[in-house]
Amino acid sequence: MLHYDFMQRAFFAGGLIALVASVLGVYLMLRRQALMADMLSHVSLAGVAAGALLKFNPSLSGFGVALLGAVVVEYVRRSYKTYSEVSIAIIMIGGLSTAVVLMSMNSGISRSFSSYLFGSVVAVQNTEIYLVAAVACIGALFFYVLRKPLYLITFDEETARTNGVPVNLISLLFSLVTGMIVAAAMPIVGVLLVSSLIVLPAALAIRLAPGFTAALWLAMLIGLTGVFSGLTASYEFSTPPGGTIALTLLLFLVAGIGVKKLVIKWRKQHSKLRRKVGASGQNKLLEHAGISQEPPVIH
Amino acid sequence: MLIASMKNVVFGYGDSPSLENVDIEIHSGEFVAVSGPNGASKTTLLKLALGLLQPWSGTVDRASRRGDGKKLVVGYVPQQIAAFNSGFPSQVLEFVRSGTYTSGSWFRSVSRQDRELAEQALKQVGLWELRNRKIGELSGGQKQRICLARALAQQPDLLVLDEPTNGMDAASRERLYSLLGEMVKERQLTVVMVTHGLSEASPYLDRIIELEKKETGGWKCCTTTSCNGHFSPVV
Repeated sequence: MLHYDFMQRAFFAGGLIALVASVLGVYLMLRRQALMADMLSHVSLAGVAAGALLKFNPSLSGFGVALLGAVVVEYVRRSYKTYSEVSIAIIMIGGLSTAVVLMSMNSGISRSFSSYLFGSVVAVQNTEIYLVAAVACIGALFFYVLRKPLYLITFDEETARTNGVPVNLISLLFSLVTGMIVAAAMPIVGVLLVSSLIVLPAALAIRLAPGFTAALWLAMLIGLTGVFSGLTASYEFSTPPGGTIALTLLLFLVAGIGVKKLVIKWRKQHSKLRRKVGASGQNKLLEHAGISQEPPVIH
Repeated sequence: MLIASMKNVVFGYGDSPSLENVDIEIHSGEFVAVSGPNGASKTTLLKLALGLLQPWSGTVDRASRRGDGKKLVVGYVPQQIAAFNSGFPSQVLEFVRSGTYTSGSWFRSVSRQDRELAEQALKQVGLWELRNRKIGELSGGQKQRICLARALAQQPDLLVLDEPTNGMDAASRERLYSLLGEMVKERQLTVVMVTHGLSEASPYLDRIIELEKKETGGWKCCTTTSCNGHFSPVV
């Protein structure tokens, strides 16, 4: 499988994007912005459609529009502080409707569009490889250098502000990084499933990890394993990579939650048993010493 | 040294002001309580002092440097932190250590001194045994205490607490007030605290700022009472 150039490119790009997307997912989930990735992918689709119509590289135009959407969503989010999901709905409607209209104006692009909608390993060309490598570097640098203020902002924006964190600036940068990662992940998993790559590893890692740093590492491990397994399954069964990766990650999530529940149940039973054994052992000792277990009667 | 002051401050959320003509001065080394009935804009007053809200009119000043020229560190413990409800995946010690993430330390790894400060703060609030627990698994009172430990790990010069004893039992409340009183005396820490438990806190307080309803328009204004006689009323 890996002797094919296109599979090498897909594994390289998929692996890099899985690492940064999984870390992004942890922050997005904890900031209650899990749908932001989905929204930006829909907005990015409008850019892809515009690029195709104007005979410009669709991946680059999609990337540009995703960045623009990220800036807009940050400003709308500040206006709708209490209903932050409203900003996501508003921009998603705008992006998707623009994409549909632009697609209808260019009848010859419907076939290439399916690769943007559902992902395609063949769609990963040199432009996409460079884009993914650059985005992965920027994303990794952003998440590593600003890990401390990001922790503070993610926990609570007000206390972060009193700690001297420039919350508005870092939130804007965070939105831009989100836009970049979403746009870079699009050729591999597709517009419709890009959020799966971001949300599913994070959802499982948050449930399993004992701490915040552990959640970030675990999310990366889950994301990477999911993408590699999904790409392999996609090659073996000739299925679209986006759907296969999303299904693999979903399987990991269900299995992970199931295993965790079983472990909790086993621990409960085990501690119950230990208590019982402990109590009966104590009773035997008391009997052996000739001490009554009856409570003393107060006259 | 004057740490914070408000002069003729007016602020509101809708069309009419909820706080009017507020004049307050907070000095270094004071332990001040803010009191008043529910809805009296006590939290708003704290947020104005911290610069989280901007007044409609009047001036709010806060010292940016200490007497020795170093940056003034502010610790803030809000009344409710929404992130607790979603099971934030952080361990207690990891969370308390985040108090040391001040602006000068962002680009370096957590130092030994940071670790020691976090450990000391967690021991001060009596929750060292729970250091490896997830913060989402704690009770309401324990969550308040680790938030306080996080603020203490910052080594603040000004500590702003919004009903820090919510959900705490009597022994924990007594321990908290005593700890704060001790820090005010020994370290010249300045504490501004919104509380409904004035009777329990009063032995340690220097001053009480009380928010009252104005008879004319239903707005609030401040009266300041001296507790220990060290400070004369401002208004």
